[in-house]
Amino acid sequence: MPDLGTTSGGIAPRHTQRTGLGLQALAGLALVALPVGLLVTLILWPTVRMVTATFLIDGTLSSDRYFAFFNDAYTMANLRYTLEMGLVSAVTALAISFGIALYLRFSAGRIATMIHGLSLFPLFVPSIIISYALVRFLGPNGLFQLMLEQVGFTHYRTPYLTPVGPFLAFVWENIPLPVLVLSAGLSQVSDHAVEAARDLGAKAPRILWEILLPQMRRSLLIAFALIFMGIIGAFTVPYMLGPPAPEMMSVFMQRTLGNLHDPEAAQVQAVVLMVISSIVGGFYIATMVKSSEAAR
Amino acid sequence: MKRTPFGGLILLVSMGLAMLGPIVTVILWAFAVKWRYPHLLPTEWGLKFWFAMLGRETVITPVLTSLALTSIATTTAALICWPAAYAFARLKFPGRQLLLFSFIAAQAVPKFALFVSIAVIFLKLGLVGNFWGVVVVQMLSAVLFMIWIPTAAFRGIPPALEEAAFDLGASRLRVFLLITLPQAMPALAASYVLAFVSILFEVDSALLIGAPTITTMPLLLMSLSAQIIVQEAAVLCVLIWVPCFALLLLSRRFMTARGIAQGFGA
Repeated sequence: MPDLGTTSGGIAPRHTQRTGLGLQALAGLALVALPVGLLVTLILWPTVRMVTATFLIDGTLSSDRYFAFFNDAYTMANLRYTLEMGLVSAVTALAISFGIALYLRFSAGRIATMIHGLSLFPLFVPSIIISYALVRFLGPNGLFQLMLEQVGFTHYRTPYLTPVGPFLAFVWENIPLPVLVLSAGLSQVSDHAVEAARDLGAKAPRILWEILLPQMRRSLLIAFALIFMGIIGAFTVPYMLGPPAPEMMSVFMQRTLGNLHDPEAAQVQAVVLMVISSIVGGFYIATMVKSSEAAR
Repeated sequence: MKRTPFGGLILLVSMGLAMLGPIVTVILWAFAVKWRYPHLLPTEWGLKFWFAMLGRETVITPVLTSLALTSIATTTAALICWPAAYAFARLKFPGRQLLLFSFIAAQAVPKFALFVSIAVIFLKLGLVGNFWGVVVVQMLSAVLFMIWIPTAAFRGIPPALEEAAFDLGASRLRVFLLITLPQAMPALAASYVLAFVSILFEVDSALLIGAPTITTMPLLLMSLSAQIIVQEAAVLCVLIWVPCFALLLLSRRFMTARGIAQGFGA
């Protein structure tokens, strides 16, 4: 029996592939075992355990906790607020990114390069930094207000501690990803198609609607799913910028667990969020699979 | 659909304001000694608050805790993930696609909800507030970067060179060390930097698993941001984020835009 320890690294030389296949399989499994183990112990097991725990009250199967969840007005308000925030922020971020990607597709030069760079900047800024920075920029007496007052506008009302605060932060954070995805998609739309349409007399909105959008549909859906999942699970942004009520689900969970010391209720909230996220995630995966089948 | 440069200029200026305005505000605050309403800019500049912050143990300790936590978690994750990435890219084994896919699927799990489930288990085991408990959980944040980017990198290396070396009689280890590894190194380094920075600024697990015993730098930043003295949090932001920004920019040079998009789950 060959020693597994000596097989780390190196593809199997071609001439040994027939005899080495079993060895290669063992080596491969051994090398991926630890990170897969990490996923199993820290994601799969806690999730399964949590879902089971929420349905068990004193050892008997019961859906009472979920009944309580869906019948509590405050909880439902938080859930609705979370989903609306995800929907509105994701759609806004996509619309803005689509505009930027369109501009980048049909322009070149220094200005376009700078706009491209700026649109990717949020990739380099962690949530906690941008949350704090937005408090200072948009908050009461922040730089934005000072700038507006310089030009004579004195009726600024800060979005800080209102739902608009987290909304702006989510849009800010979610510009780069769709710009990257949509730029890649738009670069595959041929100039010929656009020019041909223009020669036939199509105006810009019609070209957008009938040539660009249909080709971008899949990219848009994938980007939407990713952004939406990220937003409904976010903690830092609503915690630092959002109103005290309603709360987004992660903030609500943290308070339920940390301040109210009610792990049972917090777990139910977590499971509900996970289920919603996995529905969107499943839709995302289905879109990916469908497109890779179509490409075949 | 040619646009006038004027339209581009308007887009550039508004994006500059929206993207850079918040960060510029923080940098201004970090070097401001006096900045009172309604002055557009600070009226007195200086490093007063830098000296004040750096001389305080309640600031130094969380920063050192964070650096230790992050270094240990990132390095351990690299040690277990990079070999796995190599296996995903180069070896054939049963379940390879499914297992690789499970790392993407794992990303779809809302992290905060997941940390609630882990926190409940850790509460029972007495691991909440434990340094190593936080290390293990924070490793999760590194796994995606450390699997995806390196797997793509190893796959991108043309096997012809490796095969040529085999044909000349080189051992597997020698081929790996002299041919494969040097070509993959930039991407590995980039994945390390991305993982390091994302763990360094991670709030969720630090708050649910570490607090209140373990205060990390982001938790300190959160508590400082609620203080009346604005400069303290601003100094901490600039102090920690600027080096990270430089590192990220540097590592971006070694990665394609697609690699970054993948790293962020696209």
